[in-house]
Amino acid sequence: MLIKAEDRIRATLRANNTHIRLLLAHPMHSGRQMDENNMVVKAEFIQDIRCWRNDNEVLVIKCGSATSQNPYFSFELGGGQVGDTIAIRWVDNTGAKGDIKATVDS
Amino acid sequence: MINIQRRILIKKSLSATTIAMVSSSGLLLPQRVLAHWPTEAFNAETVEDVLLALLGKANISSSQKLNFSVGKPAKRIVNGGSVSVEINSELKDIERFAILVDNNPFPLVMSMDFSSDVLLPLKTRIKLVKGKSKVIAVVRAGGQLYITRRDVRVDTGGDI
Repeated sequence: MLIKAEDRIRATLRANNTHIRLLLAHPMHSGRQMDENNMVVKAEFIQDIRCWRNDNEVLVIKCGSATSQNPYFSFELGGGQVGDTIAIRWVDNTGAKGDIKATVDS
Repeated sequence: MINIQRRILIKKSLSATTIAMVSSSGLLLPQRVLAHWPTEAFNAETVEDVLLALLGKANISSSQKLNFSVGKPAKRIVNGGSVSVEINSELKDIERFAILVDNNPFPLVMSMDFSSDVLLPLKTRIKLVKGKSKVIAVVRAGGQLYITRRDVRVDTGGDI
């Protein structure tokens, strides 16, 4: 049975800054690998990840195919308070999209 | 005489309509506008070309201000498919941060645009090819470039 992996996000307040951890569920195929039948696995990788805090765009990440499978990011935003909304959206090279939201916890 | 003028008119109106059709179909739009992805930088095959495409010409400052670590444990990495990378710095007003690997087929791994809200440390995971390579961190802050390199050796390469 195929277990459907989901994007995950956790946002917490640490020493008055917002700490964000993000794990996206994505195979990140580069398009240069062979599968077990010697067929090229089609390129499929996230190209663009954007992060908003309360409707302000704070971070834009452009990824190439050398980003690891299931990309992980951890970073901080200055200030913030409990209840802020952190929103993430991503787009891959095939046009597939994903979005996930979190509320900042204490 | 009238006939010739009519020919010209038909010709002109035809070419005008084709131009209008082509331009409205979006074929003339540059690819970059559609993709919002720096194709040139990601498809460049040398570190120098990536830096030029991504960051332009800028003064390179000392790398002392960047605290960059690759792999856990560092130096000897078993699985090149997922290598943790951490950047930290006291620099203020960081505009852009990029990770490059010199021996990967396409050196640029990722590039990030920071707003003033983003603080370091920042952690992520990247793929590395088998063998020896240099992982390069580039930060542009206040019009200056800060570059630092780490030597690594990888036992099993990632799917790059």
